[in-house]
Amino acid sequence: MKKLFLLMSTLCVAGLAHGPALADGETIAVFTKNQTNPFFETVRVGAAAGAKSVNAKVIQYIPIKPDSIPEQMSQVEDAIVRKPDAILFTPVDYKALVPGINKMTAAKIPVIGMTDRPAGGDIISFVGVDDYRLGLETSQNLFKAMGGKGNVIALEGVKGTLTSTDRMRGFTDALKQFPDVKLLASQPANYQRLQALQVMENLMQTHPQIAGVFAANDAMATGVVEALAGANRKALVVGINGSKEAVDLIKEGKMHASGSSDPFMQGCLGVLVTVRALRKMPVPKELMVTPVIIDSTNWRDHDIPVEKRSCPKLDEVAAK
Amino acid sequence: MSQAEATVPRRSLALSNDVLSVFYRLLAVGIICVVLSFISDAFLTTNNLLNVLRQASLVFFMASGLTLVILTGKIDLSIGATVGLSACVAATVIKATDSAMLGALVGIGVGAIVGLGNGLLVTKLRIPSFIATYGMLWVVHGITYYYMSGQSVYGFPAEFRAIGSGYFLGIPIPIYLMILFLLAGNFFTKRTTYGQQIYAIGANTVAARLSGIPVNSRLNLVFILSGAMAGLASLIYLARLNSAEGDIGETLTLPTIAAVVIGGTSLFGGVGSLFGTFIGGLILTLILNGMNLLGVSANWQPLITGLIVLLAVWLDMKTRSKTDASS
Repeated sequence: MKKLFLLMSTLCVAGLAHGPALADGETIAVFTKNQTNPFFETVRVGAAAGAKSVNAKVIQYIPIKPDSIPEQMSQVEDAIVRKPDAILFTPVDYKALVPGINKMTAAKIPVIGMTDRPAGGDIISFVGVDDYRLGLETSQNLFKAMGGKGNVIALEGVKGTLTSTDRMRGFTDALKQFPDVKLLASQPANYQRLQALQVMENLMQTHPQIAGVFAANDAMATGVVEALAGANRKALVVGINGSKEAVDLIKEGKMHASGSSDPFMQGCLGVLVTVRALRKMPVPKELMVTPVIIDSTNWRDHDIPVEKRSCPKLDEVAAK
Repeated sequence: MSQAEATVPRRSLALSNDVLSVFYRLLAVGIICVVLSFISDAFLTTNNLLNVLRQASLVFFMASGLTLVILTGKIDLSIGATVGLSACVAATVIKATDSAMLGALVGIGVGAIVGLGNGLLVTKLRIPSFIATYGMLWVVHGITYYYMSGQSVYGFPAEFRAIGSGYFLGIPIPIYLMILFLLAGNFFTKRTTYGQQIYAIGANTVAARLSGIPVNSRLNLVFILSGAMAGLASLIYLARLNSAEGDIGETLTLPTIAAVVIGGTSLFGGVGSLFGTFIGGLILTLILNGMNLLGVSANWQPLITGLIVLLAVWLDMKTRSKTDASS
């Protein structure tokens, strides 16, 4: 049992302290939501790359229990004790963590928001992506590929989350621009691969003709691809995140497109904006990463391992 | 039913209750099917029925091992986490060695080891199973997250994928596997001494111990079987989804427990059957299938699922207390 606890605490330490101290520049505490979603892993790699490029160092704070509000709250308190020069903050919950932001600013530590915009609190700048635009542009890409007509199915993410709500709003608005595209069903699959597979299998029973599927994330899109392959049917499938798996499926022609919110760039720019603020350079109040729709025409640009990608220069950031 | 009532002398009665309770459940499945076939043309087709059975098979594999644990009056909350870890380890082994067989053995082995851990926590350290397996849930999740570090592993050889997505004589292979395990499991629980001892432990642990049943070793056995079945379920998951990532087990535990309970296995132990669990899983799968076929809005789906689960359990308790009273 002692050994078990030892193992657990080793895991905790390993989970908390990803970023080694390399430079003697500014120290930035980077908060992300979990260690399970490849998206945040890429954000962290981007943040580390951004820090390295300007001689700063990052300390990663990641809840062991994914998206745990109390755990992130206590990590906020830990960070305040360690007094980093600034905090780059992705709240696990955009409302519940507002008091956490207030604590950090009360301790005179500047806070920059990243990925999920907090509902309140005094942040210097926000770096993220517009999920509405992501949903809109990914859907437009799908409807154009369908030739502006045909039947479409939508798979929603977790009900009540900002990302799913905004992406679905983008999808609905894109639908209005294409009057000949008909929405057969919009069903929840909670961002889960297995649920997406089963929901799609069920929907294929009632709908003999499906030309396109919009899934609010890539995990669901890959579930849909499996369901279609299992039933020997074909449809254009799009997802959101630009995950490596999705890029591979696009390469093989099994998936049509994935809207990427460029997590590497979000991490990079998050750190660079923070460093600019610390070095008294002007920073934008908000910096939105441009969505990239990855499809058969441009997947090669995104088939690069994250370790090999590079961040923009510190001077270029304000213009980005 | 109190524990004292369900002791060994009343075995024959418990069996007839079992038959009745399975009958009521089949009736419930029948009613759901009739209603669905009236409101959706797509429901009563061979294709859709095979589709439902294939989806139910994954729930069944997870829930069958859990049924044994619950029959002894214990619980295993680490099922989902175990599925996640087994899937991830098996996936990396298959990718590294290209051997489906080795991956399958490792996947089931990992599950069995987690199960043994649960068993020892309960029998040696005397930690209540609810807490022991809840702790194990986080340990296993932690190891999985650390092992995967946010990546996913995908793309498995076709011969491995056949166990999840293949067909034999037009029927999906997971359905054959489910029937095989259902029959074998039913034989194990109803016709072997081991199985009868499992029921006896759940009905009255003290009496079971006094009558010479090696309680601790049987408890270890059911936890190991529960873990191994989670390992097997993870293989079906991998073969169907062609991909594994750290968080796949997070949402699987509660529906699995629900399937066992809807299937009529009492959380207090000693009462229930694998066949009931099969039907419990089938009911849950039918609810999702029906809501998808009818295009029920995302806003209403959780509410409807919840109400049907409550209704099923309430009806069960009602019929149970009636048969108890009439005897």
